[in-house]
Amino acid sequence: MTCLEVRELLPEMSIGVLAEPERERLGRHLQWCAGCRKEAGDLDQAAATLAFALQPAFPPEGLEERVVASVRRAAGAPVKRRRARNVAAAVVAAAIAFASLGWGAVMAGRADRFAVRAEQAEREQAVAIEQFRKVVANVIPGRDLPDNETHIGPLTPVAAGTGGGFVLQLVSPTVLDFSMVIVNGLHEPDRLPLRVQLVNREGTVLRAGQITALNGNGGAEVYHQFQTQDLAGFTKVRVVDNRGQTVLAGTVDQSS
Amino acid sequence: MTKASRKAPGGAAGVYLEGDRVSNRPEGPLLAREEQQLVEGLLAGNEDAVRALYARYARPIFTLGLRLLGSAEAAEELTQDVFLAAWRKAARFDPARGRLSTWLMTIAHNLAVDRLRRETGVTRPHLVLVEEVPEIGWVDEEEPLIERDAAIRALESLSDAEKRLLGRAYFGGLTAREIAESDGIPLGTVKTRLRTALIKVRRANQDKERP
Repeated sequence: MTCLEVRELLPEMSIGVLAEPERERLGRHLQWCAGCRKEAGDLDQAAATLAFALQPAFPPEGLEERVVASVRRAAGAPVKRRRARNVAAAVVAAAIAFASLGWGAVMAGRADRFAVRAEQAEREQAVAIEQFRKVVANVIPGRDLPDNETHIGPLTPVAAGTGGGFVLQLVSPTVLDFSMVIVNGLHEPDRLPLRVQLVNREGTVLRAGQITALNGNGGAEVYHQFQTQDLAGFTKVRVVDNRGQTVLAGTVDQSS
Repeated sequence: MTKASRKAPGGAAGVYLEGDRVSNRPEGPLLAREEQQLVEGLLAGNEDAVRALYARYARPIFTLGLRLLGSAEAAEELTQDVFLAAWRKAARFDPARGRLSTWLMTIAHNLAVDRLRRETGVTRPHLVLVEEVPEIGWVDEEEPLIERDAAIRALESLSDAEKRLLGRAYFGGLTAREIAESDGIPLGTVKTRLRTALIKVRRANQDKERP
């Protein structure tokens, strides 16, 4: 690219609307051309001015702690342990959060015999929470666990499918991370085995166990403990069938 | 929200105390070496450095995310992403090539626009005209916002048409070609006008150069 061509595109690059191929070509030119680099810097600063002119909004409380923790974790620096509470409190908190999610997700697409299925879902959730309690107790017997290390999210069907469920995660700087997925209302055994995958923002996929059999309600649970992997950022959860099609998907709120 | 609750713990607003004290000014432009030191601290995962950067820049980043992405949740995610992206790119930051605030806001804007384009396909970000943005005389703020004051002053150098044009591109995510087609004017004219408007802002910004 000539300097003339580059300078014609620089305003759009500074404003952030230049397509990727041209952005790359421009970037290569700027690596060696000091004149265009100076012009790019000037225009970048002018464009950033627009953002600073906005009437400020205040970030929510707690965001600073999450930013600090995520950067320190990425940099490999130890994250300070926060106020610890009994693991039972963490599980109860998860249960409360879980109850507030409702079993609507579990029942998604199954409007028939609603009351009956709702009762089943509630019973199975109670069992699942108890299982989660046991899992946590086994992982860290006698240890306190901050409740902000236990996260929960719903799983809902995709593409007009049926079923639902939820995922529980333990994301901790001090103990091994693990995830637990409970599903219900899946009635297509020919799609087994179902695999649980956790995905982060960069698209990295972690295997978190597989479901090889379903009970009479189309339910199952699977948990996976990670020996070295940090689950921070792995907030997208999906359950895929034996053809790689996503059956259920959801997001865990790790900020809670 | 009280002022105390908005301030960074430990009075970290703009003051990075790791090793040598590099700045005891809570506001105002940083020196080049202060910016460099902050970014080096970020790269190392130094908590004081991250908090100092957060205290200075989280608010404008969050604000930009809120305007472009339309929800506090998305703005929050964007803010976290920006700091992580800044950490990844920290080794490439060169204070001789531009200010830290520009570098961070460019990262924030690019991430937000990329996300919008990825998630909404051809749908454009919510359009916010620049002329709607500055509200001179806004007083619900207890801390001086030098960057914002300077930005508003710089935008006053633009005509209404130039503000609208920049707003459509920067906040609306429209390319020069899209604006040209929409308005029925030559592409070259749009590009020239964009460049002229940016240069005007740049010139008006000269008086807030880094000390």
